[in-house]
Amino acid sequence: MEYLSLFVKSIFVDNMIFSYFLGMCSYLAVSKNVKTANGLGIAVIFVLFVTLPINYLLNKYVLVPGALSWLGESFADVDLSFLSFIVFIAVIAAIVQIVEMVVEKFSPSLYASLGIFLPLIAVNCAILGGSLFMQQKDFANVGESAVYALGSGIGWYLAIVALAAIREKLSYSNVPAPLKGLGITFFTVGLMGIAFMAFMGISL
Amino acid sequence: MNTNNNVYTVIYTTVICVLVAAVLAFASQSLKPRQEANEKAETISQILTAAQFGAKESWNDNNATIDFYKQNIASAAVVGANGFAAGELNTENAEVYSVSDLKAQNYNIKDGTDVALPVYVFNNGVTVVAVYGAGLWGPVWGYIALDKDLETIVGAYFDHASETPGLGGKIKDDPAFRAQFVDKKVVYAEGQKPFNIVKGGAGDMVNGIDAITGATKTSNRVAAAINHCPGAYKEYVLAQRAVSREPQGEIMPLCDSTAVVEIVNE
Amino acid sequence: MDKKMKETILNPLFKGNPISVLVLGICSSLAVTVELKGACVMALSVIFVTGLSSLVCSLLRKTIPGRVRIVIQLVVVALMVILVDQLLKAFAYGIDKQLSVYIGLIITNCIVMGRIEAFALGNKPLPSLLDGIMNGVGYGMILVVVAFFRELLGSGTLFGFPVLSAIGYTNNGLVILPPMALILLGCIIWVQRSIQKDLQEK
Repeated sequence: MEYLSLFVKSIFVDNMIFSYFLGMCSYLAVSKNVKTANGLGIAVIFVLFVTLPINYLLNKYVLVPGALSWLGESFADVDLSFLSFIVFIAVIAAIVQIVEMVVEKFSPSLYASLGIFLPLIAVNCAILGGSLFMQQKDFANVGESAVYALGSGIGWYLAIVALAAIREKLSYSNVPAPLKGLGITFFTVGLMGIAFMAFMGISL
Repeated sequence: MNTNNNVYTVIYTTVICVLVAAVLAFASQSLKPRQEANEKAETISQILTAAQFGAKESWNDNNATIDFYKQNIASAAVVGANGFAAGELNTENAEVYSVSDLKAQNYNIKDGTDVALPVYVFNNGVTVVAVYGAGLWGPVWGYIALDKDLETIVGAYFDHASETPGLGGKIKDDPAFRAQFVDKKVVYAEGQKPFNIVKGGAGDMVNGIDAITGATKTSNRVAAAINHCPGAYKEYVLAQRAVSREPQGEIMPLCDSTAVVEIVNE
Repeated sequence: MDKKMKETILNPLFKGNPISVLVLGICSSLAVTVELKGACVMALSVIFVTGLSSLVCSLLRKTIPGRVRIVIQLVVVALMVILVDQLLKAFAYGIDKQLSVYIGLIITNCIVMGRIEAFALGNKPLPSLLDGIMNGVGYGMILVVVAFFRELLGSGTLFGFPVLSAIGYTNNGLVILPPMALILLGCIIWVQRSIQKDLQEK
């Protein structure tokens, strides 16, 4: 039950896009059509789902003060927490690199349409944000961190697919020329964000 | 040179990683004493600010801050969950709980294991207790100063690691937020939170203040931190209140737990 | 000064502005534009970091293996940011207290990585340094404009000094919420593309 509420909460109440506004750059830039949005969304879910448990274990058994005590008594007061930023980033970047190679190999068309935003998943704040939130939320075990990662990823995925669908419809509307494309998207996301605030009061 | 060669890639990555880790470890080790001294002075200045000894800006000299603290502190101790002193902090070295010490205690409060929270009592009777919890983006912590009756708040100071500047960051940057705490009370009653931060209309609440506009989430987390930590101080505060309401009205020395028991049992 | 250099300097300010045209660094521009002071601090730090990291990565560009370039770039950027943070913490604690909130935002700011990927890896160190700095300036420019309106309309102040609130203005709470920053950015794009018609999308 706890897993379920954590899952739902991380999708809607703590939505990475609308409640924390993380991962905005690629969200705005790669939501022109549903197909690419779908691709990037799945990539984000995957990267979050893989990196968060890894970072959780690294944090728990290597980084926090006293975490190295499993190596022996003399390591009990080693504090490596100053490395946590760089370790999280390195893990994320490595996973992104792998995803990039896989996508390039199996779906060159998706690779071309994602362009620079595929490597930029590495600096997608939603991913690093996920790891930092995980560090702060003190999850009890790997399972919880994985559920949280999955929920956050799905939340991000839903948000980008929804925006892409709206943008596809919008392309048939009579928008003032200077606002076409990016401009109207900013307005749309702003309004979606205001709508999503309704979830803020829900406590699960 | 072929930079896509596997061996080259592995060696290059390893070298960079080792180099970076070494540089960071060296920097962290060699700068640690200075950083810790700065952090200690910062912590003391926050405690002094909460206790209303002066505005936060007036404590920018490390040594002067620590000297002032040494002159004005009456006793400093750590108290356990049962309200009794579990140890003393050396006032001559101006020993204080750092933020990471508070963090460790935060885990202990959650687990219910050996809690040891700092209590600083100044010569003018003001008692400062610490508060620590999770904010919206990172930890938030702070100090609440209570008057002789251990009920009325004389001042508070909060700090944070990474709240949004201008929104959640106001818990530290906006003096108006801190000023709201003055003359409010910490109330221990059945089915009630010791302290509340509510969205709009705290008005005349004895133990409540208004949340920061646009930063309800951070405000809620601060409230949770306050209730979490002074919740843990409850036994201590109740015992000390009983002492201070005695006709003699003298503040008991912290570590003499037997005296406290006697008075409570009366 | 030759034409290419001029292009490198002017392009990031208008035609290739990182925020309004390249859509980079949006997250941080939502977070730090509630007040002007924060926006200025962030703008200066980003100018410093983009310039320096573009320079370093451009120096390393011939040696970085293609398949791990993201890891290497990020590690280099993060190393520099953390190192500066550690030094400030030891020698200028007051400044560090002001900046520490932004450290995470700077490392994950896509402008830094975006400019390394798109420019520094293919160009000589000096143009890369310039490109990094000017992109930081272009980013900072938008930041300051948005922060100006958000602080003025949301809190009635500028740099903390009462301006509108002094003449009896009721603060608009919506403006200090992140969605409003998006809408303001949309307005900036609207204005910019009305002037520079070649940026309009079809």
